[in-house]
Amino acid sequence: MPFREPESGLPRRGFLAAGAGVFLCTIGGERVLLRNPGDAAKADAAARRVARPRAAAAGAPGAGPTEKLTFATPQPQPGGTAREYWIQATDALWDIVPTRPRRDEWHGRPVPGPTVYRAFVYQQMTEGFAEPLAPPRMPGPTLYAEVGDTLVVHFRNGLSDETGQALTMHPHGVKYNPEYDGVYLGDFTRAGGFVEPGAEFTYTWEATPDAVGVWPYHDHGPNHTLNTFRGLFGAVIVREKGAKVPDMEAVIFFHSLAPPVTGLERQFQCINGRAFAGNTPTLQAKVGQDVAIHVMGMDSNFHDFHIHGHRWKDPSGTFVDTPAVGPNETITARFIEDNPGRWLYHCHVFTHQDGGMAGWYLVMP
Amino acid sequence: MKRYARIAGLALVAALAVPAAAFGQYPPPSKPTPQKAPKGPFHTLQVCKDGCRYKTIQAAVNKARPGDTVKVRSGVYRETVSIAGASKRYIKLVGNPKDPSKVVIDGSRGKAVPRQNGVWVNGANQVTINGFTARHYNGNGFYVVNVTGYKLTHLKATLGGVYGIYAFNSIGGEMSDSEASYNNDGGFYIGQTPPQSTPKRSLVTRVKSFGNVIGFSGTNMRYVTITKSQWFNNGTGIVPNALDSEKYAPPEQNVIIDNDIFWNNFNYYVGAPFKVRKSGIGVPYPVGVGVLLFGGRHNDVVNNRIYGNYLVGVGALQQILLKQKDAADLIGNSVRNNQFGLNGTDLNGRDMVYDGSGSDNCFAGNAGVQAMLPADGSAFAACPFTGANAYNAAAQAEAFGWAGDATHEKFWIRHPHAPKKGYTPLEHYKK
Repeated sequence: MPFREPESGLPRRGFLAAGAGVFLCTIGGERVLLRNPGDAAKADAAARRVARPRAAAAGAPGAGPTEKLTFATPQPQPGGTAREYWIQATDALWDIVPTRPRRDEWHGRPVPGPTVYRAFVYQQMTEGFAEPLAPPRMPGPTLYAEVGDTLVVHFRNGLSDETGQALTMHPHGVKYNPEYDGVYLGDFTRAGGFVEPGAEFTYTWEATPDAVGVWPYHDHGPNHTLNTFRGLFGAVIVREKGAKVPDMEAVIFFHSLAPPVTGLERQFQCINGRAFAGNTPTLQAKVGQDVAIHVMGMDSNFHDFHIHGHRWKDPSGTFVDTPAVGPNETITARFIEDNPGRWLYHCHVFTHQDGGMAGWYLVMP
Repeated sequence: MKRYARIAGLALVAALAVPAAAFGQYPPPSKPTPQKAPKGPFHTLQVCKDGCRYKTIQAAVNKARPGDTVKVRSGVYRETVSIAGASKRYIKLVGNPKDPSKVVIDGSRGKAVPRQNGVWVNGANQVTINGFTARHYNGNGFYVVNVTGYKLTHLKATLGGVYGIYAFNSIGGEMSDSEASYNNDGGFYIGQTPPQSTPKRSLVTRVKSFGNVIGFSGTNMRYVTITKSQWFNNGTGIVPNALDSEKYAPPEQNVIIDNDIFWNNFNYYVGAPFKVRKSGIGVPYPVGVGVLLFGGRHNDVVNNRIYGNYLVGVGALQQILLKQKDAADLIGNSVRNNQFGLNGTDLNGRDMVYDGSGSDNCFAGNAGVQAMLPADGSAFAACPFTGANAYNAAAQAEAFGWAGDATHEKFWIRHPHAPKKGYTPLEHYKK
């Protein structure tokens, strides 16, 4: 079938390149259309123009009674503990297809380059941000807590003063008061919603009984759509106190890296920042193990999580093997492994799986 | 008598680490303000004794525009360099980063009182000073005040009247790959950090500090990480302390991580290459201490190697002399996962001393601990800990009593040092 010229006004080449990657950002009152490679620079420039909100939201124009409220820092419940993390947002050159030669192992074919872009990631650091604990990774470090604990997250914006922009960490699922929401709200922004380059803020989040589960966290500063797409996301896992930890547990983000974000010519459909089997995470388990694979969506699309050779119960008790997962939603595939072999796991939205959203799951007897 | 000794002991600490402002003419601290990054174009101004456009560093700085580089060639420059105001922001002063000893600024003036500061930056944000040696200044070697952002790197500061490398009333900066020796107070010093809602951290990394009265002094400092550095042969190694002499008591949210803190037994009272200052009340400071938290909140001493300090490895004491009473207590500090005594080969006199004052302070995972005060360990709550700590008045009195000793060595518990290649223990200075 001949390819029909889209009606977007984009030239065909531009449409092929950008595809579903086109998006509109509102950044501190400016609207920026991200359509073509390099457009991210326009959004970054807009983000750098966003002035630091007044420290006291109570004094903001139009501030209401909610802005006058002050909030105490939550403490762990009796028997709980404060779990401290030191996390720095940093930029890093990130290879979406790091195999050499670049390769899609599923189809046994080469992947043409270039595949490297400047990502923003959350990186775990030692105490006091003295040094990195691990290389830059996507997603950022998984934060763990049990019910009754607090998560005390020391967040530092490690972007440079000259080229950086304000960032935050905004969690889902755990309990927090407005002080620790980590969200930019224009005039109503509290301190943790606008962390400038070189600055830090300590968030305190509570693992309440209703926070049990697996949740994403991500940037929610003035330019958060672009920066989240760039790689500023990670997961929080909250368990019941003393709950058994699965024998194999994996965190999987389905997301895309589009030309306006990466500056690259083509769109990549990614799992944890990598595209195509052999580059995406290769999960491994043994027969008899208690396996939990947590899958989250982290772009503007809906996805379907499918593992060949396996099925499990969804929260309603129905057996599934391809549940849907939307933006910032989590599904968990949990089962006792009973089927050895090499398996494919992938998003079952066909354009996603063909764009790289697939990986290996290797099970040994 | 006991009461007197206790007060005297405290007072001497208070008397010592006073801001350098007391020793020279300085403008009063003002609030560090944001300054726009310059856009350029940037220029490089050359300084040397012979054949350059600028013969003095100051002459080049005077001509430099924001963001320019002032490149100083090898030589000895006898001057004070002042980099002041927003019009000098983002300036880079570059000597020889690979060998700072080749580009020297010298404060001595024969028999006259030496110049006050080597390089001092006031109100100019994001200035870099890279690759210099400062010596013989009456005040400080490298001094930064009232700024947001600074980088002091590949520097040597020696034989200074007060501090070697010093940042005061400033927000966020870096001191790195530098050395401070034989300074008449803190080799390195960060003081009076303004409290901030989204703080900018200061990083002190890969530095060496030795032969100073104090290796690192941190009066009312905040958000400082001290790491990968060596603090040895000073009177005292590292002292984050709360004092009335500066604003914003107490010190808060500092992290001292992955350092070597050893042999801080330099009894400069017996002899020193500098003229020992008289403290305000004529009572000496205790010698032989690795780290002393003297008041402070949420300071963490983690993963350090602490050995061969004859009086105390790590001490934590209430700042009972502080006028600002709500800032006197130790709150939420921790001492964790440190290695004391170098596997038993180079012991501290006492590894940990804590008067049990304040609340939420804890100790955990420390290896090689052999001697404590209180000796039964009752003050050392395990981490995490919330609530009031086990205050021990006798331990507090004993610790403060050490400072009343005129010999400065009477309460030492000496142990032999393990040999360390390239390092010689310094107790008594000999010319």
